[in-house]
Amino acid sequence: MDHYKDFTVEDFVWDTFFRQWVLSPTRETEDLWEEWIENNADAHEKIQQAKGIVLSLRLHEPEIADTEITRIVNQTVGRINASDKYPFFEEPAKQPKVYSFPWLRIAASVAFLLISGWIIYSLSTKKEPQKISFAKPIQEHKDSITEKWNSSMKAMTVLLEDGSKVTLAANGRIRYANKFLAAKREVFLEGEAFFDIAKDSERPFFVYSNGLVTKVLGTSFTIKAYGNSNEVTVEVKTGRVSVFAESDPELEQKTAGRELQGVVLHPNQKIIYSREEVRMVKTLVEKPEMVVLKAETPQFEFEDTPASEVFEKIGKAYGIEILYDPEILKDCPLTATLDNQTLHEKLFIICQAVEASYEILDGQVVIHSRGCKN
Amino acid sequence: MKPHSQPPRSSDDNVLWQRFLSGDVVAFEHLMSSHFRVLFRYGCKFSRDQEFVKDSVQDLFLHLWEKRERLRADVAVKPYMMASLRRLMHRSTSSKSWVGEGDLEKADEAFDLEFSVEQQYINNESTLVRTRQLEKLLMELPKRQKEVVYLKFFQELSREQISEVMAVSPQTVSNLLQIAIKQLKKHWKAEFLTFFLIHLFI
Repeated sequence: MDHYKDFTVEDFVWDTFFRQWVLSPTRETEDLWEEWIENNADAHEKIQQAKGIVLSLRLHEPEIADTEITRIVNQTVGRINASDKYPFFEEPAKQPKVYSFPWLRIAASVAFLLISGWIIYSLSTKKEPQKISFAKPIQEHKDSITEKWNSSMKAMTVLLEDGSKVTLAANGRIRYANKFLAAKREVFLEGEAFFDIAKDSERPFFVYSNGLVTKVLGTSFTIKAYGNSNEVTVEVKTGRVSVFAESDPELEQKTAGRELQGVVLHPNQKIIYSREEVRMVKTLVEKPEMVVLKAETPQFEFEDTPASEVFEKIGKAYGIEILYDPEILKDCPLTATLDNQTLHEKLFIICQAVEASYEILDGQVVIHSRGCKN
Repeated sequence: MKPHSQPPRSSDDNVLWQRFLSGDVVAFEHLMSSHFRVLFRYGCKFSRDQEFVKDSVQDLFLHLWEKRERLRADVAVKPYMMASLRRLMHRSTSSKSWVGEGDLEKADEAFDLEFSVEQQYINNESTLVRTRQLEKLLMELPKRQKEVVYLKFFQELSREQISEVMAVSPQTVSNLLQIAIKQLKKHWKAEFLTFFLIHLFI
């Protein structure tokens, strides 16, 4: 490595071996360079500068989501599978040979009829659940449907007739009636949006998104339903929300009443609905926030407080169910100030202190502990 | 440059490639998903229309599948795909501009790089200034020099691989690279000095 002695900062920046060490160091390169720097102390400053330049000058690459790649790959594989199964679509030259056998012609026609019949049948049955979402309201108000598409990079606010506010994320699309029905308010969403719904207990509010129906009376929540993803997530900020699949056989009945049926979500809870598996997973939002008003935010200062009391106080502040065994935890005292941590940090610190652990199950926090008596 | 943007090792690629040539759809799927991001990013240097780039990458793989029986088994997979994408995109942009769709003649000429300077790695003012200057100089390089620099330093391809991707001789690659680096170093010093002097006297 002798030739590096006369290197300038620029020489280092454009040296392949140097870049390799800086960008993806291995054991060997690390050892080699450290040794070299030790023997060439005067080059230390240059090395530091060159390293800073190589690391900080980032090539800005366009992003593409993994889901988008998967979608295109699946589509491509689907196409090559189709063209391999029916090669005569691609290569007409082969046709005369095959069709010179009369019985093959008949067999092919029968097969064609069967396949097209099956396709028509499966298409018409598959369309069924979709009808509820898109066809119905359009029939009822043919001329008063508004569709908004947020083609900008910034969020867009859409005000609805009933005073509800929808914040549509970039590339989101929403469709709604200019005048809502007498019995219910309905919107259709593709993409991501935050809803702040005006309270009207007489007219429930429905959001249809990628096969999931969300029903609320008056709350705020976020829905993410991207066209190219099979998952829909609903995160509740305030109030209560109920969700069910559009394919639910009891859909009519569930949407009819004023009560919230189906899976009910509370603040800070989130549901992930997977269309393919028709499965819903309830969990907590990533960063739960307190549900109490700012002015009423409790103090999280504890001195020799039983852990059971601590959990109760936290559960109340966040509107989350925390399940624990009060008998076991009443003998676990805690002294801590936990005003500035997120919910997960708080739980983590407490569990560390009292030698417990926690997990999120079905949108609730479950504490596992063996107690603190020795 | 980030580790996840790199496709798997080339030896894995070659095994997959041979399985793909024998008609293995699973291998084809793996090849496509592991190279999609690199190819998409490379394609975006030639066109700002991301949908067009996605379509081009998809077309590339459909073509590869169709003519898999006539392909060589011993290619270096990543450079081969990059070269094919480059040809395919240039062909379709030139045929589009033939039809008269917009200003695609320009797009055919383009090789756009975008850089950003991440300050958390820099601990003093003069390094920051040098990095900014370098960024500016890189942007000002002629497009073929820019492409060589991109393939060499940001895709870590060898001279031979670059010559295959860009369809020029290895000697041309060396020349282009040498001119580009000389340019970057020379101007860099000069600009750095002027900046420093201005800074001192203000």
